[in-house]
Amino acid sequence: MTPVRGRQPATRGVYAIEDPALLLPDPIALDTSFVVEALIATQPLHAACAGFLARIVETGVSVVSSELLPVELAEAAFAIALKERWGGQWRRHRTDGRARRRGGRLLTDTLSRYETLLSSIDHFPVPLGRATGLATTLMTDYGIASYDAVHAASAIIAGAEAIVTKDTGFALLPASRLMLYTDRSRLASCRTKRQH
Amino acid sequence: MRTVTTKQTNGRPERLSPEELAALMRPATAKSLEEKREAVRRATSGLRIKVRVTPSMYGRR
Repeated sequence: MTPVRGRQPATRGVYAIEDPALLLPDPIALDTSFVVEALIATQPLHAACAGFLARIVETGVSVVSSELLPVELAEAAFAIALKERWGGQWRRHRTDGRARRRGGRLLTDTLSRYETLLSSIDHFPVPLGRATGLATTLMTDYGIASYDAVHAASAIIAGAEAIVTKDTGFALLPASRLMLYTDRSRLASCRTKRQH
Repeated sequence: MRTVTTKQTNGRPERLSPEELAALMRPATAKSLEEKREAVRRATSGLRIKVRVTPSMYGRR
């Protein structure tokens, strides 16, 4: 085997979920962006994210999530129905009642799948009220966006060392706070964004 | 003498105590590994939509 020349790139606490040698901490936190990719078969990262969920089950680690996650799934379900009807103009038609029936069916299907998923894993759902104090501190200290801050705070207070996400915004947090498990295509941008 | 301090946010311990964590825990209802594999397979198979979901569709930037 040819030795790799030069210095290895710093990981900065960011790792690829496609790496078969990646160790999973127990517990591990899930972000909505990861769950959306895993549940919806037509999403571009579906195979990688569904495969990583299978690894979580195989290794037997427990998962942490915020109570915000199913609310974001509901938001996504109704936005999908609007986007299917209105394409790129969907934001302007948020109050269009004709999309609600489809949105409702999608919501039922998505939440049912989420519950089925949770039936296979020991799970810690962190109440929003318990996470808000730390979330605002993370926003102030690192400039992380509000929803990301709620998920990060939920992970930290439940003792998760890593969060699985495709959202590069979490890289604003230092590695000492939370490791990021993301897809291979986001490694470089997360590591660049992560200064600490 | 060394003292151990608990990190706090707004006067509350940053991390949940073992008792608080135990109270939150929802154990898997699927018991065998085979049942768990099947649950993940059912959760992640077959939901196909006509559009791509972007972060702004669940409230992210």
